[in-house]
Amino acid sequence: MLNMLTLIKREIYDNIAYFVAAIILSMILIICIISAAYRSNSEEAPIFAIALSLPVIVILIIGFTSIGVSQMYIDKNKRISAFLLTLPVTRGRILTARIITGILAILTLFLPLIITTMILYRLLSPPVPVFEGMFFDIYTVTLLTALTSYCIGLQTGWMKGKVIPPLVGFIITFVFASIIIIKGLGPQAWLPLIIFIIASVIRSRRKFMKTSF
Amino acid sequence: MNDNVINVENLVKYFDGRCVLDGINLKVPQGCIYGLLGRNGIGKTTLIRILLGLESPTRGHTSLLGIDSTNLPVEVRGRIGCVAEGHNLIQNYKVSRLIKLCKDLCVQWNNEFFEHLIETFRLPLDRRVKELSIGMRAQLNLALAMATEPELLILDDPTLGLDTVARRQFLELAIELIQQQKRTILFCSHILSDVERIADRIGILAAGKLVVDCRLEELKKRIKKLQVIFPNAAPENIYITEIINQQIRDREIVLTVANWNRQKQAILDTFKPSSCTEIPMSLEDIFIECTKPAQDVIQTAV
Repeated sequence: MLNMLTLIKREIYDNIAYFVAAIILSMILIICIISAAYRSNSEEAPIFAIALSLPVIVILIIGFTSIGVSQMYIDKNKRISAFLLTLPVTRGRILTARIITGILAILTLFLPLIITTMILYRLLSPPVPVFEGMFFDIYTVTLLTALTSYCIGLQTGWMKGKVIPPLVGFIITFVFASIIIIKGLGPQAWLPLIIFIIASVIRSRRKFMKTSF
Repeated sequence: MNDNVINVENLVKYFDGRCVLDGINLKVPQGCIYGLLGRNGIGKTTLIRILLGLESPTRGHTSLLGIDSTNLPVEVRGRIGCVAEGHNLIQNYKVSRLIKLCKDLCVQWNNEFFEHLIETFRLPLDRRVKELSIGMRAQLNLALAMATEPELLILDDPTLGLDTVARRQFLELAIELIQQQKRTILFCSHILSDVERIADRIGILAAGKLVVDCRLEELKKRIKKLQVIFPNAAPENIYITEIINQQIRDREIVLTVANWNRQKQAILDTFKPSSCTEIPMSLEDIFIECTKPAQDVIQTAV
C-alpha cells in the first residue's frame, strides 16, 4: 500500500504542471459560473451552462489527452519504468498508479466545479427537477469525455514517433467529441464512452505488461 | 529444495529473426559470485533483462529466488538489487529525490551503509542525475542497489565509466557484500581482471550459447594452451577432441584444448613430438580463445 502511495506521489510530482493547470482552470470556471449565475436570470442558466460546457469540453479533450500522452511518452523516452522495475515495483502497480494519477487530475478539475454548481443550484435555482437532471447529464458526460481523452492519451503516448502519436490521439478524441455533439450530453452518449474507456484501459494494460523496457 | 538463486532453462531469445540466446542453461547457487563474460552484443544484457522481467523470452524458462522471473512479485523484487548497464536512473530527478524515491519503495534500506557509500563516493545530493558524470551515476546506482541489502545482486557492467580508484572501491564493496552470508552476485563485465578478482564461477557467452560454465580455478585447470614442436612438419590433424583453437606453423602447433586429460596426452604422444610446453593462460587469454567464432567445445564443462 505504501509502495503504491509512493508511486502515485511520484506520478503527481512528475505531472504537477497538469494539476496546477487543472486548479487554475477550475478556479476560472468557478468564477465564470458564479458571475453568470448572479448576473443571468434563472431561465438563462441552462443555456449558459450548455454554452460554457462546449468550449470547456474542447479544452478538457486537449488537456487530458496531453496528460496521458506525456505520462507514457516521458516514461518510454526517459526509461522511467525500466528503472522502477529494478526496485520492488511491478508493471501492474506502475500502470495503476499512473491511471489513478490521471483520475486524480480529472477530479482536481471537476470536484470544485461540481461542488460549486451544487451550492449555486441550491441557492439560486427554482425547484424545477429538469435542471437538476441536466446538470447531472452535463457533468457525467464531461467527466467521461475527460477520462476518454486521458485513455486515448495513454495509448497514443506509448506509440513510436513524436508527431504521429499526439496527432492520432487528437483525431480519435475529436471523433468522440463529434459523437457527443451528435448524440447530445445525455445518457445516450455515455455508453460508447464507457465502452471505449474500458477497452482502452484493457489495451493499455496489455501493452504495458508485454513491453520490453 | 532448489538452492539455485538463478535458474535458466533452455532460454532462447530472438530479436527481429536473429537468435541472440540459443538454448542457455544456467544455474547460480546461493552465495556464488558468478562472472558472466562475453563480447559486446552477445546477449549478456539481454539475459539479465530477461532475468529481471524487463524483456520476455522467446522460449525457455527463467527464475530468480525460485520465482518465475516474468512474474516477480514485489516481495521478491525487494530481495534483488540491480545495477543496469548504462545506469538507467531517472535523469531529471535531483539525486536527493531519487534516493528518497528508492528509500520509500524499497522493502529494506540500510541507511547507515548508504550514507557511508555516499560519503565514500562523494556524491552531490543537490545536483540532478543528468548533471552527474557517468562515473558518478555508476556510483549512485551502485549505492542505491547495495543499500537494499539484497540477497541477489545483479550487476551489468557496473564499473563502466569508473576511474581506477572508484573501481577498486567498488570491488572491495562487492567483496564486503559477498562476505555477508547467503549473498549471491551475478556480475557482468568487460574488465576481466575485475571478474578474475571477485568471481568464483565463470560463464562465457559466445554465439548465443554458454560455452563455459564452471568454477574459475577449474576453468584454468581444464583449458590448456600447449606449444607442441614436431621433429618434421606438424601433422594437419592430430585427432584430439575439444580443440578450441589451433595454429599450425611449419613444425609447431599452438593448441588450445578444453578438458585436457591423459587420453588426450596419449593421443598427442603418438605423433612423437620433440617438445610439448604449456603456455600459462590468464582469464583474458581464455576469454579470447573461447569467444573466437564457431566455438562450442566447452559446453560439457561443469
